[in-house]
Amino acid sequence: MLKLILATAAALPVAAGATVAATGVAWVDVREGGPNGTRIVVPVPLLAAELASAFVPIPDIASEMGEARQHLGAARKVLDALGESPDGELVRVEDKDETVVIAKEGDTLRVHVSGKNEDIDVNVPLESAAQVIRPDGRIDPAAAVRGLRHARFQTLVEVRDGDDHVKISLW
Amino acid sequence: MNRTALAGVGAALVVAGVVGLGVAQARTDGASAAETTGPSGAPAWLHVRVDEHGKSSKVRVNVPLTVVEAALEAAPSQIVDKGRIKIDLGHDRHDGDEGHDLSLAQMRKIWQSLKDAGDTEIVSVEQEDETVKVARKGDLVQVRVSKPSGEEEVQVDVPVSLVDAVLAGPGDSVDVKMVIRELRARRGDIVRVNDKDSAVRIWIDESAAGEAR
Repeated sequence: MLKLILATAAALPVAAGATVAATGVAWVDVREGGPNGTRIVVPVPLLAAELASAFVPIPDIASEMGEARQHLGAARKVLDALGESPDGELVRVEDKDETVVIAKEGDTLRVHVSGKNEDIDVNVPLESAAQVIRPDGRIDPAAAVRGLRHARFQTLVEVRDGDDHVKISLW
Repeated sequence: MNRTALAGVGAALVVAGVVGLGVAQARTDGASAAETTGPSGAPAWLHVRVDEHGKSSKVRVNVPLTVVEAALEAAPSQIVDKGRIKIDLGHDRHDGDEGHDLSLAQMRKIWQSLKDAGDTEIVSVEQEDETVKVARKGDLVQVRVSKPSGEEEVQVDVPVSLVDAVLAGPGDSVDVKMVIRELRARRGDIVRVNDKDSAVRIWIDESAAGEAR
Protein backbone atom coordinates (compact mmCIF):
# COMPACT_ATOMS: atom_id res chain seq x y z
CA MET A 1 0.00 0.00 0.00
CA LEU A 2 2.87 2.32 0.91
CA LYS A 3 4.46 1.53 -2.42
CA LEU A 4 1.28 2.50 -4.23
CA ILE A 5 1.06 5.78 -2.32
CA LEU A 6 4.70 6.54 -3.09
CA ALA A 7 4.22 5.70 -6.76
CA THR A 8 1.15 7.91 -6.96
CA ALA A 9 2.95 10.68 -5.11
CA ALA A 10 5.80 10.43 -7.60
CA ALA A 11 3.48 10.24 -10.59
CA LEU A 12 1.43 13.32 -9.76
CA PRO A 13 4.27 15.89 -9.94
CA VAL A 14 5.61 14.18 -13.07
CA ALA A 15 2.16 14.34 -14.66
CA ALA A 16 1.67 17.94 -13.59
CA GLY A 17 5.12 18.90 -14.86
CA ALA A 18 4.61 17.08 -18.13
CA THR A 19 1.20 18.70 -18.62
CA VAL A 20 2.60 22.16 -17.97
CA ALA A 21 5.50 21.42 -20.33
CA ALA A 22 3.15 20.11 -23.01
CA THR A 23 0.78 23.07 -22.80
CA GLY A 24 3.52 25.69 -22.61
CA VAL A 25 5.05 28.17 -20.21
CA ALA A 26 5.48 31.91 -20.57
CA TRP A 27 8.70 33.19 -18.98
CA VAL A 28 8.73 36.74 -17.77
CA ASP A 29 12.30 37.89 -17.26
CA VAL A 30 12.90 41.37 -15.86
CA ARG A 31 16.45 42.59 -15.38
CA GLU A 32 17.14 45.95 -13.84
CA GLY A 33 20.31 47.70 -14.93
CA GLY A 34 23.00 49.02 -12.66
CA PRO A 35 25.25 47.39 -10.07
CA ASN A 36 22.35 46.82 -7.67
CA GLY A 37 19.86 45.87 -10.34
CA THR A 38 17.58 43.03 -9.51
CA ARG A 39 16.43 40.22 -11.73
CA ILE A 40 13.02 38.63 -11.52
CA VAL A 41 12.06 35.56 -13.50
CA VAL A 42 8.47 34.37 -13.34
CA PRO A 43 7.34 31.24 -15.17
CA VAL A 44 3.62 31.34 -15.97
CA PRO A 45 2.04 28.09 -17.18
CA LEU A 46 -0.17 28.91 -20.17
CA LEU A 47 -2.77 26.51 -18.85
CA ALA A 48 -3.02 28.57 -15.64
CA ALA A 49 -3.06 31.82 -17.63
CA GLU A 50 -5.83 30.42 -19.82
CA LEU A 51 -7.85 29.43 -16.78
CA ALA A 52 -7.35 32.85 -15.19
CA SER A 53 -8.23 34.69 -18.40
CA ALA A 54 -11.48 32.73 -18.62
CA PHE A 55 -12.65 34.73 -15.60
CA VAL A 56 -12.04 38.09 -17.26
CA PRO A 57 -15.49 39.58 -17.80
CA ILE A 58 -15.91 39.95 -21.57
CA PRO A 59 -18.67 42.59 -21.44
CA ASP A 60 -16.42 44.91 -19.40
CA ILE A 61 -13.69 44.74 -22.02
CA ALA A 62 -16.21 45.36 -24.78
CA SER A 63 -17.58 48.47 -23.10
CA GLU A 64 -14.06 49.79 -22.55
CA MET A 65 -13.36 49.55 -26.26
CA GLY A 66 -15.99 52.11 -27.23
CA GLU A 67 -16.14 52.85 -30.95
CA ALA A 68 -13.24 50.51 -31.70
CA ARG A 69 -15.52 47.57 -31.01
CA GLN A 70 -17.47 48.02 -34.25
CA HIS A 71 -14.25 47.57 -36.23
CA LEU A 72 -13.29 44.27 -34.59
CA GLY A 73 -14.99 42.19 -37.28
CA ALA A 74 -13.00 44.01 -39.94
CA ALA A 75 -9.80 43.60 -37.92
CA ARG A 76 -10.33 39.86 -37.70
CA LYS A 77 -10.78 39.57 -41.47
CA VAL A 78 -7.67 41.66 -42.07
CA LEU A 79 -5.69 39.44 -39.66
CA ASP A 80 -6.95 36.35 -41.45
CA ALA A 81 -5.95 37.80 -44.83
CA LEU A 82 -2.57 38.80 -43.41
CA GLY A 83 -2.04 35.27 -42.10
CA GLU A 84 -2.59 33.88 -45.59
CA SER A 85 -0.51 36.49 -47.39
CA PRO A 86 3.18 36.05 -48.27
CA ASP A 87 5.97 37.15 -45.97
CA GLY A 88 7.47 40.59 -46.28
CA GLU A 89 8.22 43.92 -44.69
CA LEU A 90 4.89 45.69 -44.33
CA VAL A 91 5.85 49.01 -42.83
CA ARG A 92 9.11 50.88 -42.36
CA VAL A 93 9.18 54.34 -40.85
CA GLU A 94 12.58 55.94 -40.51
CA ASP A 95 13.02 59.15 -38.64
CA LYS A 96 16.11 60.93 -37.39
CA ASP A 97 16.29 59.05 -34.11
CA GLU A 98 13.90 56.19 -34.52
CA THR A 99 13.09 53.35 -36.86
CA VAL A 100 9.90 51.30 -36.79
CA VAL A 101 9.63 48.12 -38.82
CA ILE A 102 6.61 45.84 -39.05
CA ALA A 103 7.12 42.62 -40.93
CA LYS A 104 5.26 39.40 -41.46
CA GLU A 105 7.32 36.26 -41.05
CA GLY A 106 5.42 33.00 -41.25
CA ASP A 107 2.63 33.07 -38.71
CA THR A 108 4.13 35.97 -36.81
CA LEU A 109 3.83 39.72 -37.11
CA ARG A 110 7.12 41.23 -35.97
CA VAL A 111 7.29 44.80 -34.73
CA HIS A 112 10.71 46.30 -34.14
CA VAL A 113 11.28 49.77 -32.78
CA SER A 114 14.82 51.02 -32.39
CA GLY A 115 15.62 54.35 -30.85
CA LYS A 116 18.62 56.10 -29.39
CA ASN A 117 18.71 54.16 -26.14
CA GLU A 118 15.98 51.65 -26.54
CA ASP A 119 15.07 48.65 -28.61
CA ILE A 120 11.65 47.07 -28.60
CA ASP A 121 10.73 43.80 -30.26
CA VAL A 122 7.16 42.57 -30.24
CA ASN A 123 6.25 39.34 -31.98
CA VAL A 124 2.52 38.86 -32.40
CA PRO A 125 1.38 35.34 -33.32
CA LEU A 126 -1.29 36.03 -35.96
CA GLU A 127 -3.19 32.92 -34.94
CA SER A 128 -3.41 34.18 -31.38
CA ALA A 129 -4.30 37.74 -32.44
CA ALA A 130 -7.10 36.47 -34.69
CA GLN A 131 -8.47 34.30 -31.90
CA VAL A 132 -8.69 37.30 -29.58
CA ILE A 133 -11.56 38.52 -31.74
CA ARG A 134 -14.56 36.25 -31.65
CA PRO A 135 -16.74 35.85 -34.76
CA ASP A 136 -19.42 37.95 -33.03
CA GLY A 137 -16.94 40.83 -32.83
CA ARG A 138 -16.16 40.54 -29.12
CA ILE A 139 -12.83 40.09 -27.38
CA ASP A 140 -11.98 36.69 -25.92
CA PRO A 141 -8.87 36.85 -23.70
CA ALA A 142 -8.91 33.12 -22.94
CA ALA A 143 -8.79 32.35 -26.67
CA ALA A 144 -5.84 34.71 -26.99
CA VAL A 145 -3.88 32.76 -24.40
CA ARG A 146 -4.99 29.49 -26.02
CA GLY A 147 -3.69 30.82 -29.33
CA LEU A 148 -0.25 31.33 -27.78
CA ARG A 149 0.15 27.57 -27.76
CA HIS A 150 0.67 27.86 -31.52
CA ALA A 151 3.52 30.26 -30.98
CA ARG A 152 5.76 28.39 -28.58
CA PHE A 153 9.54 28.58 -28.46
CA GLN A 154 9.78 32.22 -29.39
CA THR A 155 10.10 35.61 -27.76
CA LEU A 156 6.87 37.56 -27.50
CA VAL A 157 8.20 40.84 -26.17
CA GLU A 158 11.71 42.11 -25.59
CA VAL A 159 12.39 45.63 -24.39
CA ARG A 160 15.86 47.07 -23.85
CA ASP A 161 15.87 50.50 -22.32
CA GLY A 162 19.36 51.53 -21.34
CA ASP A 163 20.52 48.84 -18.95
CA ASP A 164 17.02 47.60 -18.20
CA HIS A 165 15.82 44.52 -19.97
CA VAL A 166 12.39 42.89 -20.06
CA LYS A 167 11.72 39.72 -21.97
CA ILE A 168 8.61 37.58 -22.24
CA SER A 169 9.17 34.34 -24.06
CA LEU A 170 7.15 31.21 -24.67
CA TRP A 171 8.48 27.72 -24.08
CA MET B 1 7.79 -1.50 -6.04
CA ASN B 2 9.30 -1.21 -9.46
CA ARG B 3 6.13 -2.35 -11.20
CA THR B 4 3.83 0.03 -9.33
CA ALA B 5 6.26 2.91 -9.69
CA LEU B 6 6.55 2.23 -13.41
CA ALA B 7 2.77 2.03 -13.65
CA GLY B 8 2.49 5.42 -11.93
CA VAL B 9 5.10 7.05 -14.16
CA GLY B 10 3.50 5.36 -17.18
CA ALA B 11 0.13 6.83 -16.27
CA ALA B 12 1.73 10.24 -15.90
CA LEU B 13 3.36 9.94 -19.31
CA VAL B 14 0.03 8.88 -20.86
CA VAL B 15 -1.66 11.97 -19.41
CA ALA B 16 1.17 14.17 -20.66
CA GLY B 17 1.14 12.40 -24.02
CA VAL B 18 -2.58 13.00 -24.53
CA VAL B 19 -2.16 16.70 -23.77
CA GLY B 20 0.95 16.85 -25.94
CA LEU B 21 -0.82 15.16 -28.85
CA GLY B 22 -3.66 17.64 -28.53
CA VAL B 23 -1.21 20.52 -28.77
CA ALA B 24 0.69 18.91 -31.65
CA GLN B 25 -2.58 18.31 -33.52
CA ALA B 26 -3.61 21.90 -33.02
CA ARG B 27 -0.25 23.09 -34.36
CA THR B 28 -0.44 20.77 -37.39
CA ASP B 29 -3.96 21.99 -38.18
CA GLY B 30 -2.74 25.57 -38.07
CA ALA B 31 0.20 24.82 -40.35
CA SER B 32 -1.81 22.94 -42.96
CA ALA B 33 -4.49 25.62 -42.99
CA ALA B 34 -1.83 28.22 -43.71
CA GLU B 35 -0.39 26.10 -46.52
CA THR B 36 -3.69 25.37 -48.26
CA THR B 37 -4.87 28.95 -48.15
CA GLY B 38 -1.58 30.40 -49.33
CA PRO B 39 -1.54 32.29 -52.63
CA SER B 40 -0.52 30.51 -55.79
CA GLY B 41 1.54 32.41 -58.32
CA ALA B 42 2.90 35.85 -57.71
CA PRO B 43 0.68 37.90 -55.42
CA ALA B 44 0.24 41.62 -55.95
CA TRP B 45 1.50 44.15 -53.42
CA LEU B 46 0.39 47.72 -52.90
CA HIS B 47 3.32 49.99 -52.06
CA VAL B 48 3.38 53.46 -50.58
CA ARG B 49 6.55 55.53 -50.38
CA VAL B 50 6.76 58.89 -48.70
CA ASP B 51 10.04 60.77 -48.80
CA GLU B 52 10.59 64.17 -47.33
CA HIS B 53 13.12 66.19 -49.27
CA GLY B 54 16.15 67.20 -47.28
CA LYS B 55 15.14 65.13 -44.26
CA SER B 56 16.10 61.67 -43.20
CA SER B 57 12.53 60.65 -42.51
CA LYS B 58 10.84 58.23 -44.86
CA VAL B 59 7.85 55.94 -44.80
CA ARG B 60 7.58 52.64 -46.63
CA VAL B 61 4.37 50.62 -46.64
CA ASN B 62 4.04 47.32 -48.48
CA VAL B 63 0.67 45.60 -48.18
CA PRO B 64 -0.50 42.46 -49.97
CA LEU B 65 -3.47 43.39 -52.15
CA THR B 66 -5.45 40.58 -50.51
CA VAL B 67 -5.15 42.44 -47.20
CA VAL B 68 -6.29 45.69 -48.82
CA GLU B 69 -9.27 43.83 -50.28
CA ALA B 70 -10.10 42.27 -46.91
CA ALA B 71 -9.89 45.66 -45.22
CA LEU B 72 -12.16 47.27 -47.80
CA GLU B 73 -14.64 44.42 -47.87
CA ALA B 74 -14.74 44.21 -44.10
CA ALA B 75 -15.04 47.95 -43.53
CA PRO B 76 -18.00 48.94 -41.35
CA SER B 77 -21.29 49.63 -43.11
CA GLN B 78 -21.14 53.37 -42.50
CA ILE B 79 -18.01 53.44 -44.69
CA VAL B 80 -18.80 50.70 -47.18
CA ASP B 81 -22.40 49.75 -47.83
CA LYS B 82 -23.13 46.88 -50.23
CA GLY B 83 -19.67 47.18 -51.74
CA ARG B 84 -19.92 50.94 -52.29
CA ILE B 85 -18.24 53.84 -50.49
CA LYS B 86 -20.54 56.77 -49.97
CA ILE B 87 -18.81 60.01 -50.93
CA ASP B 88 -19.86 63.36 -49.56
CA LEU B 89 -18.20 66.05 -51.61
CA GLY B 90 -19.91 68.85 -49.75
CA HIS B 91 -22.47 69.77 -52.40
CA ASP B 92 -25.33 69.36 -49.93
CA ARG B 93 -23.77 71.23 -47.03
CA HIS B 94 -26.10 72.80 -44.52
CA ASP B 95 -23.69 75.29 -43.00
CA GLY B 96 -24.58 78.04 -45.43
CA ASP B 97 -21.39 77.52 -47.42
CA GLU B 98 -22.29 76.16 -50.81
CA GLY B 99 -18.74 74.97 -51.36
CA HIS B 100 -17.11 74.54 -54.74
CA ASP B 101 -17.14 70.75 -54.92
CA LEU B 102 -18.79 68.75 -57.62
CA SER B 103 -20.97 65.82 -56.74
CA LEU B 104 -19.69 62.42 -57.77
CA ALA B 105 -22.58 62.18 -60.24
CA GLN B 106 -21.55 65.49 -61.80
CA MET B 107 -17.92 64.41 -61.97
CA ARG B 108 -19.00 61.17 -63.58
CA LYS B 109 -20.95 63.05 -66.23
CA ILE B 110 -18.04 65.33 -67.03
CA TRP B 111 -15.61 62.43 -67.08
CA GLN B 112 -17.77 60.43 -69.49
CA SER B 113 -17.85 63.29 -71.95
CA LEU B 114 -14.14 64.04 -71.63
CA LYS B 115 -12.49 60.66 -71.52
CA ASP B 116 -13.07 59.96 -75.21
CA ALA B 117 -11.78 63.35 -76.21
CA GLY B 118 -8.15 62.25 -76.00
CA ASP B 119 -5.46 64.47 -74.55
CA THR B 120 -7.15 67.58 -73.27
CA GLU B 121 -7.20 70.05 -70.42
CA ILE B 122 -10.18 69.14 -68.28
CA VAL B 123 -10.10 71.86 -65.65
CA SER B 124 -8.12 75.04 -65.29
CA VAL B 125 -8.64 77.26 -62.27
CA GLU B 126 -6.46 80.32 -62.04
CA GLN B 127 -6.50 82.14 -58.75
CA GLU B 128 -4.39 84.92 -57.31
CA ASP B 129 -2.13 82.62 -55.34
CA GLU B 130 -2.19 79.43 -57.35
CA THR B 131 -3.26 77.74 -60.54
CA VAL B 132 -4.89 74.33 -60.64
CA LYS B 133 -4.94 72.37 -63.86
CA VAL B 134 -6.41 68.95 -64.48
CA ALA B 135 -5.59 67.37 -67.81
CA ARG B 136 -5.59 64.06 -69.54
CA LYS B 137 -2.29 63.07 -71.06
CA GLY B 138 -2.12 59.63 -72.58
CA ASP B 139 -3.10 57.06 -69.96
CA LEU B 140 -2.80 59.54 -67.11
CA VAL B 141 -4.96 62.14 -65.51
CA GLN B 142 -2.61 64.85 -64.35
CA VAL B 143 -3.33 67.39 -61.64
CA ARG B 144 -0.93 70.28 -61.36
CA VAL B 145 -1.02 72.97 -58.73
CA SER B 146 1.45 75.76 -59.27
CA LYS B 147 2.31 79.14 -57.82
CA PRO B 148 2.51 82.34 -59.88
CA SER B 149 6.31 82.20 -59.71
CA GLY B 150 6.12 79.25 -62.11
CA GLU B 151 7.41 76.81 -59.54
CA GLU B 152 5.37 73.60 -59.70
CA GLU B 153 4.14 72.84 -56.22
CA VAL B 154 2.09 69.70 -56.58
CA GLN B 155 2.00 67.04 -59.27
CA VAL B 156 -0.52 64.24 -59.09
CA ASP B 157 -0.68 61.53 -61.75
CA VAL B 158 -3.51 58.98 -61.71
CA PRO B 159 -4.11 56.31 -64.38
CA VAL B 160 -7.20 56.86 -66.55
CA SER B 161 -8.36 53.29 -65.90
CA LEU B 162 -8.39 53.92 -62.14
CA VAL B 163 -10.43 57.10 -62.57
CA ASP B 164 -12.77 55.05 -64.76
CA ALA B 165 -13.14 52.46 -62.00
CA VAL B 166 -13.69 55.07 -59.29
CA LEU B 167 -16.32 56.87 -61.36
CA ALA B 168 -18.09 53.74 -62.59
CA GLY B 169 -21.67 53.12 -61.52
CA PRO B 170 -24.50 55.43 -60.53
CA GLY B 171 -25.15 57.68 -57.54
CA ASP B 172 -22.85 59.41 -55.10
CA SER B 173 -20.86 56.33 -54.19
CA VAL B 174 -17.78 54.47 -55.37
CA ASP B 175 -18.03 50.80 -56.25
CA VAL B 176 -15.26 49.28 -54.14
CA LYS B 177 -15.37 45.96 -55.95
CA MET B 178 -14.85 47.70 -59.28
CA VAL B 179 -11.86 49.59 -57.88
CA ILE B 180 -10.44 46.38 -56.40
CA ARG B 181 -10.86 44.63 -59.76
CA GLU B 182 -8.93 47.44 -61.45
CA LEU B 183 -6.22 47.39 -58.81
CA ARG B 184 -5.92 43.62 -59.08
CA ALA B 185 -5.28 43.85 -62.80
CA ARG B 186 -3.02 46.86 -62.58
CA ARG B 187 0.76 46.82 -62.28
CA GLY B 188 2.59 50.11 -62.00
CA ASP B 189 1.94 53.55 -60.60
CA ILE B 190 -1.42 54.50 -59.17
CA VAL B 191 -0.62 57.89 -57.75
CA ARG B 192 2.45 60.07 -57.73
CA VAL B 193 2.45 63.29 -55.77
CA ASN B 194 5.43 65.60 -55.77
CA ASP B 195 5.64 68.90 -54.05
CA LYS B 196 8.52 71.00 -52.80
CA ASP B 197 8.61 69.26 -49.43
CA SER B 198 7.87 65.65 -50.18
CA ALA B 199 7.30 62.92 -52.74
CA VAL B 200 4.57 60.32 -52.42
CA ARG B 201 4.32 57.34 -54.68
CA ILE B 202 1.68 54.59 -54.59
CA TRP B 203 2.04 51.65 -56.93
CA ILE B 204 1.34 47.95 -57.37
CA ASP B 205 3.77 45.25 -58.35
CA GLU B 206 4.55 41.65 -57.55
CA SER B 207 7.53 42.32 -55.34
CA ALA B 208 7.12 42.26 -51.57
CA ALA B 209 9.85 44.83 -51.05
CA GLY B 210 8.78 47.05 -53.92
CA GLU B 211 11.18 48.00 -56.68
CA ALA B 212 12.99 51.25 -56.18
CA ARG B 213 12.19 53.34 -59.21
